[in-house]
Amino acid sequence: MSTTSVRYIVDDVHAAIDFYCGRLGFEQQMHPDPAFAMLTRGDLRLVLVSPIGPDHPGGGSRPMPDGTKQQPGGWNRIMLQVQDLEGTVEALRPHGVQFRDEIVTGIGSKQILVQDPSGNLVELFEPIRSEARLSS
Amino acid sequence: MTRDPLDTLRLPNVPIEPRPAFADALWRRIAGGEQVVPQSATVRYFVADLDSAIAFYRDQLGFEEELRPSPTFAMLYRGDLRLLLSVAGAPHALPDGTLPEPGGWNRISLQVSNLNATVAALRATGVTFRRGITAGVAVDTAVLADPSGNPVELFEPRAGYHERTTTKE
Repeated sequence: MSTTSVRYIVDDVHAAIDFYCGRLGFEQQMHPDPAFAMLTRGDLRLVLVSPIGPDHPGGGSRPMPDGTKQQPGGWNRIMLQVQDLEGTVEALRPHGVQFRDEIVTGIGSKQILVQDPSGNLVELFEPIRSEARLSS
Repeated sequence: MTRDPLDTLRLPNVPIEPRPAFADALWRRIAGGEQVVPQSATVRYFVADLDSAIAFYRDQLGFEEELRPSPTFAMLYRGDLRLLLSVAGAPHALPDGTLPEPGGWNRISLQVSNLNATVAALRATGVTFRRGITAGVAVDTAVLADPSGNPVELFEPRAGYHERTTTKE
């Protein structure tokens, strides 16, 4: 059972499903509405929504009370652990996957930023210290 | 009863919640035994100020501080969610020099059992909401802002709510 839920705002839910399921190993749980999909990957549930009007029955991506629309983008992001970062990046590039930067070696891990079709960021990381590793 | 004038100089007696899991993990590390780390979904948020961010997520939203190895980075946990808080700096700069900033609309979503009460309790402590309670198809949601302006969504399931389940082995 996934207990962590993250909501990403996307321009096109269908294109986002193709990207997250086709390239990053997510599984589609439901896609009951053109503006909504629920995916999972291990313990992470990713809810994809496109901006909707104030009268749409969906709640998550409605405008704010002052009319501000929710948009894709920003810098906050989910992080997905991979075993071989170079290999993963080389496998993704031929499919046209866009990267925001190159592989960066930090203190706890090597990492790179992937862009989804709406410009949202996903961080791929390969731990180089035990504290950063998710599974033994 | 006479008040001891030295009381004001004494440190407050703060109860510390025991965390057996942390002690176990620490012991395994000291003993050099096999480390078993639970699978956790990981999210990185950029914050303007680490102190206020840690205090906010810990005191208002029930996260636990796990690691704080530098003034610009902390690792928090809430259940099986690992939340990394980063203060943007040179290591995060993109090749063109762009620095990450807090904000945006993508957010973690935390399930609560009584959204009305949770929102009321948080408002009473001064937490700002970007949007109050909104009824959706299968959940009611509210979106609050952390001290840096990052959104956090709270949700309470309604009839028709779906969650992937697995059967026990």
